[in-house]
Amino acid sequence: MLSNLIVTNQKVVLIIDQLNRDRIALKFITSLLSEQGEGNDIKTLPIGTQLKHVANFDALLNDCANSASNQQSNPTDPITTKTGYNVILPTLADLLCYQTPAFIFDYLNKLRQSEHVRRVFLWASPMHLQHPDADYILAGCEYMAELVLRLETDSTLSLISRKPAGGVTNKRYKCQVSKTEFNVKPVTEGADTTSSPVTTTQETPDISDPGRTFKIELDEDEVVARNALTLPYERTSETEEGNIIYTPDANDDFDEEDPDEDLLIKMCSHSDRQYKPWL
Amino acid sequence: MATSLLLACGLNEQKLPGFVHISEESNVDGSFLISCILGQRLRISNAGTLLVCLQNHYQHYFNAGMRLGYNSNIFLGKTLNVIDVLSDMARLGLTSKWLRSPDGLTLTEQLVKDIREQLEKNYPNRSSYTILIDNLSILINLGASKQQVQQFCLDLADLAKAHDNLTVITKLSNSDIHPLTDNNVAKLGNVRIQVLRLKSGVFRDVDGKLLIERVLDDEGSYSCEQTRKEVLYKVNDRNVKIYNPGEIGVKV
Repeated sequence: MLSNLIVTNQKVVLIIDQLNRDRIALKFITSLLSEQGEGNDIKTLPIGTQLKHVANFDALLNDCANSASNQQSNPTDPITTKTGYNVILPTLADLLCYQTPAFIFDYLNKLRQSEHVRRVFLWASPMHLQHPDADYILAGCEYMAELVLRLETDSTLSLISRKPAGGVTNKRYKCQVSKTEFNVKPVTEGADTTSSPVTTTQETPDISDPGRTFKIELDEDEVVARNALTLPYERTSETEEGNIIYTPDANDDFDEEDPDEDLLIKMCSHSDRQYKPWL
Repeated sequence: MATSLLLACGLNEQKLPGFVHISEESNVDGSFLISCILGQRLRISNAGTLLVCLQNHYQHYFNAGMRLGYNSNIFLGKTLNVIDVLSDMARLGLTSKWLRSPDGLTLTEQLVKDIREQLEKNYPNRSSYTILIDNLSILINLGASKQQVQQFCLDLADLAKAHDNLTVITKLSNSDIHPLTDNNVAKLGNVRIQVLRLKSGVFRDVDGKLLIERVLDDEGSYSCEQTRKEVLYKVNDRNVKIYNPGEIGVKV
């Protein structure tokens, strides 16, 4: 299920929707949280024209703090095992309709730093962002997010996860969506090779994977070709090419005796050489 | 005269959806839809209608209504109220409140204020109420930003949510030039009617195509179910005819 991937320890979750599902954003995120048993710990901002009042934003932060303190004072409450609330923000298009980008970033940062907030969810649909600097704003939100879910098509999505220690992973998934279920399956390279043999022969990089600059995977043909290739340094180390191939001739006259036998060649050591009288 | 058209669009019933958006592509004219809807609402007894004239002045809607078989002047001041922005501007010039921004209000804020006043005055006496905005792109022409237009529509959507039996119908011309505004307005309601030109060119018997998208109320958590219907239309002198795709063709 998708909720297993999204409802994690990462605090700021950005969902980039390229499928024009803006109208079900709140339901979508609420369902993810409900699947993980966190449906009761949700706080939302009022939507629509209420977003023009800055006081509503501050009220949400205060509400989270007050509710969290009430939880701590009531130890029988089962929620106390988890700290803070899940905050679902209105869609980025609605936020930008009434507030400046600076305010939104500032508020996102406040939520991120608040100890009473467990997670923050922000939904952004590029098809609805009509701010002149929408691309930069979306990039800024991606920078702040620790988990970026990109709903690419009806059947594929990608997930960028940034761990607090600095590790970043970018994984792609195939998904199967019904009204009430969102099942995902990781896309493995082997599965890709077997399922779409036509695409494996292409030499251009896979542009559908936005996280990689180069095509680093090798398909079966490329692996065979790589193994068959002999590199230049391997060629020079081969001894066979330097051998003299000699074919004996019938007229060859081989001398069995040593031709230097009559020479008096004496091997002497360094110490012997010191006492030679002619030196 | 336009019953079949409204039937195809699902707008023939007494109780309409809360928010309906009409997207009009460049080089097609969807004004007939507004005239048809206006005629249908006026025929319902005790149903109030507020017409916000931005693209044409009121006289145009009266003339169009006469062609379609109803006299809007009979209802004027009773069940029909009009905010005639163009006539005000023509009559008062630069002193018109739409151009000089009194009280520091923008054009869209002034419009929302007037609509609210009309609603407070007339809504309690009516069994249902319909606000027709024709059309939003004129607001952009008059200097409103796209953000202000979006805020204006959010205000109207809030009104529709706050009042039972209140329907807001908006129209946006040149929707292909303002696709983001179009998407943002369309998502406020469950019904979207797109007036599209024929891809194959101009045809004598058909003026264009209507694409009616309706989001079902029992939409799921992870996907929203939509019904899509396409019909072809031809605006004649005194009526509007519709055809199913493939029903009409070139006769050799």
